[in-house]
Order: sequence, then structure tokens, then C-alpha cells
Amino acid sequence: MNERLLAKTFVELADNLVADFDLIDFLRLLTDRCVGILGASAAGVLLADRDGELRVMAASDEQVRLLELFQLQNDEGPCLDCYRTGLPVTVPDLLTETARWPRFAAQAQLHGFGAVQALPMQLRDDVVGALNLFRTTPGPFDPVGTPIAQALADVATISLLQQRSTQRSTVLNEQLQTALNSRVLIEQAKGKLAERQGIDMEQAFTALRRYARAHNRRLSDVARALIDDTEPLAGLAS
Amino acid sequence: MTPNGRSSRIRVLVAEQAARRGGRVGVVDVCTAAVASLPVGGAGMSAMSRTTASYPLCSTDGISEQLEELQLTLGEGPCVDAFTHGSAILTPDLRTGELQDCWPVFADAALETGARAVFALPLQIGAISPGVLDLYAQVPVRLNAEELADALAFAEFATLVLLDARIDATGEPPDDGATKRHIEDLGGYRAEISQATGMLTVQLGVGIDEAFVRLRAYAYAQGHRLTVVAADVVARRLRFSPDTDPTRTDEDT
Repeated sequence: MNERLLAKTFVELADNLVADFDLIDFLRLLTDRCVGILGASAAGVLLADRDGELRVMAASDEQVRLLELFQLQNDEGPCLDCYRTGLPVTVPDLLTETARWPRFAAQAQLHGFGAVQALPMQLRDDVVGALNLFRTTPGPFDPVGTPIAQALADVATISLLQQRSTQRSTVLNEQLQTALNSRVLIEQAKGKLAERQGIDMEQAFTALRRYARAHNRRLSDVARALIDDTEPLAGLAS
Repeated sequence: MTPNGRSSRIRVLVAEQAARRGGRVGVVDVCTAAVASLPVGGAGMSAMSRTTASYPLCSTDGISEQLEELQLTLGEGPCVDAFTHGSAILTPDLRTGELQDCWPVFADAALETGARAVFALPLQIGAISPGVLDLYAQVPVRLNAEELADALAFAEFATLVLLDARIDATGEPPDDGATKRHIEDLGGYRAEISQATGMLTVQLGVGIDEAFVRLRAYAYAQGHRLTVVAADVVARRLRFSPDTDPTRTDEDT
């Protein structure tokens, strides 16, 4: 664990929680840093909708295959268990859990993952979602890494609250719904850009995000402008 | 725990209203069902757009009707804000100072109609945002978490009913009961549906609303689940075209 990198990450995350930050963009940054500092192969933030269904808000890779692996956990898997109990779930070797989660374990292995961890996103008494980490090689998780991962899950929760306080609504339920809708918007924009440019979903997401950052715009505003064809968006949607 | 339990229950409530009315499920049935199950006195819905004029779609009573018309005429009020911000605007009591600042004309005019609490819920699926569902009560009222979740589910269903009306209008699927197919359609949220919708805007050269309608129309006509059709589009096994029927390429890539 590189402590300077760790300190730098938390400063970076705090710096990004500015007044008009974009939630999806921020959560993607967070999942990227999970990969960078915790040695995870993939990371995702899942948020429960009003009916308790877990939905992907951000992932360190936007490929359809990985998103499916997160979504699959609405039926079974570490995120569902973590969400239901509010407790971290750590699986150093997925081969040992094929009976517990037959479909999830098989799919995760198909993706080349050997170990998985799910950490609760908790808001007072409510569990609102989970941070999901995958590693390619099986083996025990670094005991120093787990509290850091939990701290990052807490930062993800804080970002939801921050988002909430900058808008008018004070109802968490409704606020989560709005956050989930902005994720749907991003998916639609990814599809449009991927089709137009002949690129894959991860490349489409990266292009949208790069454009937003380069032009100091919110990711969801750029996504909206792309879908509505209201702006030329030079360099993005040629 | 069934994730789609609420959505199913809401759909059944709406279907009951349609049966009572003796018609196929329409947005008006969503309004009457919402009024029957929430602590509100009336409901109304308006079609809204960034590019064309907005107009009222339906309302359950005179007050609702006036509220819809007021907001569209004045260009201010909770439904205007809900549409603009893409989030629900919950106003438990119109008679509070700050609201008079937000909507100086609407707040007083709405109180005059007899409304006291107004809840505006956007109809939306990402960038698809065809309108707003407004609920009102004649007394100050706060929706609890369950009621709000139900209200959001009514708005979600209203979005689908409103969009599916366009399929029915073009007579694409043989319709043997809108409710049946809506219930079959409960695949839960899937990212591929949104991605496929975005892809279809390019393949068909249409807006996002129309792309979603066409994706659903195709799934109904083929008798396939929406998630399956969407996954085929995303995997580039199925391609839509403006002039011909969608074509399949079954070489799995």
C-alpha cells in the first residue's frame, strides 16, 4: 500500500466534491482509484433503487460484460448479501463459493476473476448500496486494504448526500431515483456515441467523460446534449 | 423479496381502473389509480417537451385541470421545475414563504383553486422525458417513504403507457391486453435497454423517445422480451434500419 498515493487519492476525491459535481463522473473516479490503490482488477458502485433492486451507478470498466456481472447480483452474490445484512462480504477464493452462488461464481470465473469483496454503503440505519471489488488472482485480501476500501465506500455514500444537499429535494428516496435516472441517461448516450463512432461502450464512456472534463462541463449535461442534438459537441460526435 | 413487486402492484391497480372505465389502459387510468391509493385529492398529467408546445393530457377533476393549465400558461410551478430538473418536486404546503418566491404567480393562483399540497413527478427514462404527473391535495400533506415510492412507480408506469400509446396509434402489435404485456415486460432495469435505445437513435435517425418506442414495438411484435432484443442490438446481432425491417446477423461476435 503506497501511503502517498492513498493520501493523494483522498485529497483528489475531496477536491472533486465541489458544489456542482457530477455524481456518475465522481463515482467512476472512485472506482478507478479502487483499482489503482487497492490492486483490484475491477470495481463498481451499486445503488439500491426504491424497490431494493441493485443498480450499477459506476464501474471501473463500462463494458457490457462487467455491467452484467454486477446486475446478476440482484439474484445472488456478494453485493446482494452485503446489501441485505449491511456487513462486508469477503471471498478470497471464488471456487469455494460455487454452491452458495452457482451462477455468480461461474460468471465471475468466466470473466477471469478469482476473488471478490463487497462493502456496504451505509447511511445512518439504511444500507443504500455496495462497493464491489474484484481481483483476478485468488488469495487473502490485504488486511490494511479492507478498511481503506470501506473508507472509499463511505466516500461514495457521502457523495450521494452531497449531491442531495446541493439540490432542492430533501427526500433521500427521491434523490436516489434522480441519481439512478442520470445513470440511465449516461447509458443512452454511450449507446448513441458507440453506434455513431463504431466504438465499444467503454470507449464511448471515456470519450464522453474526456469531453466533459476538457470543456469543464458536467458529464450528464454533455450526455443530454449529445442525445438531444442540441449542440455540435466538436470533437466528440463528429 | 421481489424487486418488481411494487411495479406489478401498481400496474394491477391501473388495470383495474381501466377495466372499470371499460377501456384499454391509458394515462387517465394511472391518474385515477394514483388518487385511489395515495393521500391526494386529484391528479393530472401534461405532455411536455423542450422543442414543442406542452399541453395537458388528462386530469381527474376540475382542480387538477386548472393546475395543469395554470402551470403551462404561466410557465412556472412544480411541474415545470420537475420537467426542467428531472427530479420530483414535492410541495407539502403551498402556503410557505419561500414558495411564493419560487412561483410568485402560480403559488397564489393554485391556492385559489383550492389546492394546498402539490407533488410533481417527472415521467422519465434517462433523456426520455415526455411529461409530468401532478398530484394535489386540499390539505397540507407529506408523502411518507412508501407513498413516495408508489408515486414514483405510478409516474414510471405512466411513462410507459404514454410511450406505448404511440405503438398502438400505428397499430403495430396485435393488442390483446396492454396490461398483460406490461406485466410480462417486467425484466427489471437493464443497462442494455438504455444502450440499445441510444444505438437505435443513430440506426433509425430518430429521437430518443421514438427509438425506445420502436425497440418496444419490435419486442412486442416478435413476442420477445425487451431485454433479449436490447442485448441483441448491443451485441450488434440485430440492426434496425429506417426503410426495412430489422435484420439479424447470427454470427456471434
